[in-house]
Amino acid sequence: MELFTPDFGLVFWMFIAFIILFVVLAKWGWPVILKNMDERADTIDKGVEYAQQAKHQLDHAREEAQKYMEEAQAKQAEMLRDAAKMKTQIIEEAKQQASVEAQKVMDAAKVSIEQSRKEAELQFRNEVSKFSIEIAEKMVRNQMKDDAAQVKLVDKLLDEIENN
Amino acid sequence: MKRIIYILSLIALVLFSNAAYANDAKTDEAEKESLDVKEVIFHHLGDGYGWEVPFSHVYRIPLPVIVRAEDGKWFCFSSAKLTEVTVTEDEVTGKKHESLEPVIHEVEKDGKIYRFYIAHVSEHKNKVVEVFPLTAEEQKKAQADALALGAEKGEGAGHVVLPGYVLIGHDYYREYRTFDISITKNVLALFIAAILVTWMVMSVVRFYTRKGMKAPRKGMGFMEMLIDFIYTGVIKSSLGAKAGKFAPYLLTCFFFILTMNLLGLIVIFPGGANLTGNIAITLVLAVATFVITNVLGTKHYWKEIFWPDVPLFLKFPLPIMQMIEIFGIFTKPAALCVRLFANMMGGHMIVITLTLLIFIFAAFGAAALGASTVVSVLFTCFMLLLDVLVSFIQAYVFTLLSALFIAAAQEDGHHEKGHESVEA
Repeated sequence: MELFTPDFGLVFWMFIAFIILFVVLAKWGWPVILKNMDERADTIDKGVEYAQQAKHQLDHAREEAQKYMEEAQAKQAEMLRDAAKMKTQIIEEAKQQASVEAQKVMDAAKVSIEQSRKEAELQFRNEVSKFSIEIAEKMVRNQMKDDAAQVKLVDKLLDEIENN
Repeated sequence: MKRIIYILSLIALVLFSNAAYANDAKTDEAEKESLDVKEVIFHHLGDGYGWEVPFSHVYRIPLPVIVRAEDGKWFCFSSAKLTEVTVTEDEVTGKKHESLEPVIHEVEKDGKIYRFYIAHVSEHKNKVVEVFPLTAEEQKKAQADALALGAEKGEGAGHVVLPGYVLIGHDYYREYRTFDISITKNVLALFIAAILVTWMVMSVVRFYTRKGMKAPRKGMGFMEMLIDFIYTGVIKSSLGAKAGKFAPYLLTCFFFILTMNLLGLIVIFPGGANLTGNIAITLVLAVATFVITNVLGTKHYWKEIFWPDVPLFLKFPLPIMQMIEIFGIFTKPAALCVRLFANMMGGHMIVITLTLLIFIFAAFGAAALGASTVVSVLFTCFMLLLDVLVSFIQAYVFTLLSALFIAAAQEDGHHEKGHESVEA
């Protein structure tokens, strides 16, 4: 039965060896290993997550690029349309403005023509009246060369005044 | 091609064993007669003061013997001093035969002579005892007592174990079982295993401090895989948040047991010591688990023992549940201790027995010897491979159950009831 009775010497040494082994490994061994293993596992997890995200983003990037491109094309088309519209509008406006200007110019011309016409008319009248007075003076002088004619006229005029 | 190699090696095995048998048959007549199967098995399973050298029956690596004599003095000497190689020459063939015989080692200290001896016919078989010569009268009395005891038990005079006495040659000596903390074969194997474990773990630590986040490969990777297997698979899954607190103990347990188990399977130095198949080793390990479980147990754990959640009549006035629970505290680690011990010892015993079959069948002639050699070697190889598996499983089971016992004692009782403590 010696197999089943623990030998004191062996128990003693086993106790000491186990305690020393435990203390050494618990202090310098296991914590370092477990910490490193955990850290590495975390790092790998993060890496995988990052890679997945990157892939996801890459997949999305293509879609997004497509989207942007479509958007850009739409914008371009719109811009072209706008530009065309603006062009016609500008031309229209220019035309309108030009016609308005022309009208103005024409109106001004009309006014000035009218004025000059009036001035001319006035001048012409003055001239005509001056000529007629001169003519009348000349005629009067001609007619009043003899005294008889003058007396006659004075009589006539005096008659007229008396009649009145 | 492979099959041919197998067949050839089998034939070689048969022939070789027959040749060996033919050589030894004549000279080892005496030894064959005295082939004591039980003795051989127990010698291999047990401890020893020296370490056997391969291919030699008599030469051993001497180890220090540290003992305390009856009067309290300490002695330390080489185990080689306790044995002597005697060479006897066979008269017929002239062949020399060596055998290892225990001798009395005499030490003089402070004017007194102390005698030490590895007892054989004694109550303390194979242990170092201090012996005291008897006076003529005492010798006569002891002889007479031995005869009487022998007659009672029906044993021969040369083999009677007289309590308190040891038979050396034909004389009885009074014996004193010394207080013995010798560095025996098992103790040295223990140290080797401890150093190996430290080296394995520290090499992983060194790897981490040097290479940081890089993944270890090959042997280091295997170590890390084992550590991760135990840490995540056993410790974390059973202890949860408290895993960090108990992981060092459980991991140390696992690797120490595994190393001791595997070292025990290596036949030659530095292996071959039946360490985990020795109850002293498993006892210490089980006591460690017992202490950790109960000393660090929570209030809830002790409450469950002394006032469990069962109908009142089961715990008062007759403390039936309490008795069962308290009994359970001790049976759980005891089961741990015996399981590991019995498994490993059983494995060693089967391997030795299968090997011994060769020598037992040798008595029946060459044909039986050849056949039994082949069968034995095949079975032994198979058993050794199985033992490698068992080594791992038992280390795993010990760690797993320790973790579960500790986890059961760490329950807070806040979460829920009905979390039964896990039985072995």
